[in-house]
Amino acid sequence: MYGFEAMTFNIHGGYLEAIVRGHRAGLLTAADYNNLCQCETLDDIKMHLSATEYGPYLQNEPSPLHTTTIVEKCTLKLVDEYKHMLCQATEPLSTFLEYITYGHMIDNVVLIVTGTLHERDVQELLEKCHPLGMFDSIATLAVAQNMRELYRLVLVDTPLAPYFSECITSEDLDDMNIEIMRNTLYKAYLEDFYKFCQKLGGATAEIMSDLLSFEADRRAVNITINSIGTELTRDDRRKLYSNFGLLYPYGHEELAVCEDIDQVRSAMEKYPPYQSIFSKLSYGESQMLDKAFYEEEVKRLCLAFEQQFHYGVFFSYMRLREQEIRNLMWISECVAQNQKSRVHDSVVFIF
Amino acid sequence: MEVVDHKTHNLENGQAAEEEEEEEVDENANVLQFMDSMDAYLTLIHSLSSNLRQGWLELASARHSMGAYRVNTVLLDHTSHSAATSLLVDEGKEPHFTLCKWGSSGNEKLFLGEEQSSRDKSHPQIRHRGATQLSEEKTTSENKASCEIDDPVQKERSKSLSVFGTLVSPKLRDAQLSFETALETLVEIANRRSEMICAFDKVNKKSGGSKD
Repeated sequence: MYGFEAMTFNIHGGYLEAIVRGHRAGLLTAADYNNLCQCETLDDIKMHLSATEYGPYLQNEPSPLHTTTIVEKCTLKLVDEYKHMLCQATEPLSTFLEYITYGHMIDNVVLIVTGTLHERDVQELLEKCHPLGMFDSIATLAVAQNMRELYRLVLVDTPLAPYFSECITSEDLDDMNIEIMRNTLYKAYLEDFYKFCQKLGGATAEIMSDLLSFEADRRAVNITINSIGTELTRDDRRKLYSNFGLLYPYGHEELAVCEDIDQVRSAMEKYPPYQSIFSKLSYGESQMLDKAFYEEEVKRLCLAFEQQFHYGVFFSYMRLREQEIRNLMWISECVAQNQKSRVHDSVVFIF
Repeated sequence: MEVVDHKTHNLENGQAAEEEEEEEVDENANVLQFMDSMDAYLTLIHSLSSNLRQGWLELASARHSMGAYRVNTVLLDHTSHSAATSLLVDEGKEPHFTLCKWGSSGNEKLFLGEEQSSRDKSHPQIRHRGATQLSEEKTTSENKASCEIDDPVQKERSKSLSVFGTLVSPKLRDAQLSFETALETLVEIANRRSEMICAFDKVNKKSGGSKD
């Protein structure tokens, strides 16, 4: 017991907590995944999904199906559920739900800016944006030449505005600057979300601290591994790590100087929660690292539902659905490419 | 006189037999060359299929890891830029194709110079593949100065992948290598096919001549 949430939470949050727990019951089970993994074609996958909550979203799709179609329709379902919860939510839950989508907003901004740099059509780019990250003035991102214009013309009126203070420069946008902008924005967003959850206090603060810390640590590891062999300097790498999490600050100091995956492993194995993740990998291997992190994340997200009267269940549900959509994407790709033997490489069972 | 005629006739018969034997040896060599080329061709086809399967799965794995919004066709670069690789076509008696890998403006002379000195052929025709992302060049003398070209090659590879961002997953880099290997295999297939067709023509000529 953290406070007296049990006495007051249900006044404003009871209905939506019940809704999200109902949605959680509709997540695909191991039996569903086993059936899907045995499909021979994408139409078979559609047939199996028609018996699930994705049925109404896929039933009108004509054959031949494409893997991106399956992912788009499943994402639409998530978006519909999110919008229903958002329109029913009151403060501070509505702000909490909006925070969940800021990551997608950042991805969309970077997609539009990168696509514009590569002389792509804006309409084409807008069609590929994540629906949860859309905002009204997103199309005007295409006119910006540098970050200062990006902020002044478009983003100053969006929720991402406070995150831009650390990366505003007049340098023209290029691939490296865009990457640094993406990671700097995401770092600022995670830190802001963390502070917001701390302000909420109680069970929400406790559960969300754990989940967001794990997210920050995973980001640090991914940035380290992805920047090995690139032009990103150690100082620049360190600046992209979030200022919270289990690895902050000493783990970050070690990760910043890593030059290969084995050094990353040595740095991470000093932390017991991550020792179990890296123990699943052989030396020099990083292929299964993503799956190991996703499995740990799913475990923590499912534990959030063991407690009542907190907002962590909403965050957990959204993340579990995104994991489910990733699973469906992977299964569809393996079936489409006739590589069913590899289907269990990346599927993470939720239940 | 009859003895002299007989000896001359024997000599002529001996020469004809030797010529026939030489022709037979040449014919056998041509047939063997054709079959060797076909065997290499079929092996390369199988290898290409395997590389492409691996490449496509690694690309799907990279999309799974980085997200479909980061690995997407809408991010491919439509600005005009020089091709990352070139294909040299030597249209001699037996056409030969050479891939020059990762020859950007800075390195092009290095790769083309090495190619010309090793091939020693005249009037090669350069065909550029335009704005594709995955086209590559292969030098014929890979062993020479491999350490010197590793860094520029790595930089060119990273530059090609930078359309998806500068911090990309190792899976995307693996996919790039698989497709790179597949392209090298394609060029080798073209060369083997050229050898096969030439060997087949030789076999046909010989068998056509012997029928006559």
